[in-house]
Amino acid sequence: MNDAETTILNRREEFARVRETLDRLAAAHRLAAGVVADMQVALDEILTNIVDYGYTDGAEHEIRVRLSVLENALEATVEDDGQPFNPLERPAPDTHAPLRERRIGGVGLHFVRNLVTDVRYDRVGDRNRLVLRKQLTA
Amino acid sequence: MEVKEEQVGGVTVLQVTGRLDSATSPMLGERLTAVLEAAKARVLVDFSQLEYISSAGFRVLLQAAKRADQNTAKLVLCGVSGKVRQLFDLGGFLDLFSITGTREEGITAAG
Repeated sequence: MNDAETTILNRREEFARVRETLDRLAAAHRLAAGVVADMQVALDEILTNIVDYGYTDGAEHEIRVRLSVLENALEATVEDDGQPFNPLERPAPDTHAPLRERRIGGVGLHFVRNLVTDVRYDRVGDRNRLVLRKQLTA
Repeated sequence: MEVKEEQVGGVTVLQVTGRLDSATSPMLGERLTAVLEAAKARVLVDFSQLEYISSAGFRVLLQAAKRADQNTAKLVLCGVSGKVRQLFDLGGFLDLFSITGTREEGITAAG
């Protein structure tokens, strides 16, 4: 089993299914804990972003997550039918502001860009497709 | 994620085990809000058993630190190592919190 796929609704409670799917795939392939943690954080950030900002109609939507273990990489493909959104275009947060001025906004996507080896974004028809690739060994 | 609460010499110690992400952070947030409500609260959060933390976790920590700052309460973190430390560093959070190595040092710093 090199691939696993799950489709969730645009609600936070649904993220557990993605988390568990990745845990199972990672256990089957004995992936390093650090690699899995980085991908778990990246997926949590991406899914949170889609659920919080992707939709304006208040309706139920499906988000599809496909996970693959490749020769030397763990890859996650996330597809949603929300507003066009390219996380690569977001500015980096100010990580030097003092406590009283510090805001959390932007940190999640900053994590995504830095925790995985590369991020690819495509708008395919009316869907966002984001591919996160994490190299397994240096 | 699990949060175990202990009182050690006037310091409330919250030991966090597992993963701090969008699903679990609200629970830690509620606990921190509750313990920081007391006047001059002294709180130590022990992260030595934490696997990882996402931005949702940092959001509740940041809110707690701001609340502590306003209430002249003390909030100290300890056991920030490995993957968790890497995430603190990446987000630029190491300088925003009072962080000690061991739990004993944390209790001294908070007390």
